[in-house]
Amino acid sequence: MKAANPVEADRAALPRDLHWQRYKYPESLYSYGAWIVVLSFLAFSVEYLSIPLERIPAMFERMAAVIASRYYPPDIEYVMDRDYLDYVVQTIQMAYLGALFGLLLSVPLGWFGSFNMTPSRRFVYPVARLFTMGFRAVHEMIWAILFVSILGFGMLPGVLALTFFCAGFAGKLFAEEIEAINMGPVEAMRAAGANLFQTMVFGVFPQVRVAFTGIGIYTWDVAFRAATVVGFVGAGGMGWYLKRAVLQIETERVAAIILSIVILVLISEVLSAFARDRVMRMK
Amino acid sequence: MLSTLDTDLRRTALSADEVLAIRRRRRWSMLAVVAALTVMVVWSIDVTVIEDTDWERMGSVASVLESAGRFMGVDWALFPDLVKPAIETFMIACLGTLLGVIICIPAAWFGAMNITPFKPLTYPLARLMMTLSRSIHEIVWALFFVAVVGLGAMAGIFALAVRSVGFIAKMSAEAIEDINPGPVEAIRAVGGNGFQVLRYAILPQVLPQILGVIVFEWEINIRRSAILGLVGAGGLGLVFFRQMNTFNFPGVTTVIIAILGIILVGEVVSYFARKAVI
Repeated sequence: MKAANPVEADRAALPRDLHWQRYKYPESLYSYGAWIVVLSFLAFSVEYLSIPLERIPAMFERMAAVIASRYYPPDIEYVMDRDYLDYVVQTIQMAYLGALFGLLLSVPLGWFGSFNMTPSRRFVYPVARLFTMGFRAVHEMIWAILFVSILGFGMLPGVLALTFFCAGFAGKLFAEEIEAINMGPVEAMRAAGANLFQTMVFGVFPQVRVAFTGIGIYTWDVAFRAATVVGFVGAGGMGWYLKRAVLQIETERVAAIILSIVILVLISEVLSAFARDRVMRMK
Repeated sequence: MLSTLDTDLRRTALSADEVLAIRRRRRWSMLAVVAALTVMVVWSIDVTVIEDTDWERMGSVASVLESAGRFMGVDWALFPDLVKPAIETFMIACLGTLLGVIICIPAAWFGAMNITPFKPLTYPLARLMMTLSRSIHEIVWALFFVAVVGLGAMAGIFALAVRSVGFIAKMSAEAIEDINPGPVEAIRAVGGNGFQVLRYAILPQVLPQILGVIVFEWEINIRRSAILGLVGAGGLGLVFFRQMNTFNFPGVTTVIIAILGIILVGEVVSYFARKAVI
């Protein structure tokens, strides 16, 4: 050994276990094991779903060909139509109502489902958690299908589906927000003899007001995205146009509708970012 | 207890009159916002709920309850048929997330202001990719991919992958933008090249955060993959739709229970995964 480099010489002189490692012996085994399990599960999935991996390179060509030949140029006139614009307005209204009702529902859900503020940890907390999870777990399209089958076609089932979706979405975020508050004011309120409701209104609410408003605006944004497609199953809004164009294989119209959805979502995203920014600055 | 508003005003040391004036002005603008929102509510309720609903078809409350009651009960006989689609749904979600993460790597790299290779071109490109991916609903993506690659799990995987890119890339890019620049400079100072900076200075700082985001997105993808069958992309959604179309309402409930089951599995796995990561 030459040991021309003093640093190398020092390192060679170190006892073996002083070499730095992220994971030491048993943990390193677990981490490698976890990687192997995950990767082999993914490989097994490819096998199980019989995915033709060799076809993937050719697919990009096909994708470009399909877009160029069928979806281009988008039929812009179709989406500038008066009826279609009416449906756009209805979609916005549906998203608005769904988000609003969902938020109203999610405030108690967030309150009861936050571990530090729930009225009863043993009974109310798990129930609220269960409801929040249930609302969230079922996709908005499934809610829409269920409500359409119960209430018939129209925008009411769409509003209800969005309500459930938003209640789950915002309920979870609200609960997390309440769990992160400073408990000082709450304890002060309790010590001064305030009841549950008063603690909530004067101890918790001022702390989370800004965050709640931000979450509310974001919920509307998300609800709008969902509202553009619930019409797909007959729950009102522009999704119905999309479905019709898809079924008629009017691909150029489909492209135009998708384009209009993207533009609307972009606008709503910009608006929501602006509103959230304003709210944050009011803090 | 002072509200945040009061502390803010106090810090700027205004006179009491000025404070009151500001509060009054804020109150008026709040009132205007609330009034506008209320008008929107009334108008929306009028259009969506009152005009657009087919009240006659719906009938009385009793008949609505009756049609809701059809969903009560569980079709136990369906359970054996659900095992394979449930596994498929789960796998579609996993592979979709994996593919999404792979597509995400360039998106996050280009989309982070501080490491994007060529700012005027790559940054807007990555941002466009993220927005496009997030603004189009998974159903629409699935429709598109079914048209391109045909029916089956492949279309679902692609739809989920493309749909999850937006969120993962956005969060990762934000995490990268927030890093501590110290290690980057240190690696540069000892002569590390671009790749080494990425590998030894940036990645260790953001990896736990990004892994958390990926696990979160994977959980959402399980929910999403359960409905992709509606447009022919395989999994539980297909069974759901078949039960719905044959008016086997207890069967619909059974499928929903199965969906909840795999979501629960996903949640448990993600709990442990997150604990291991952090």
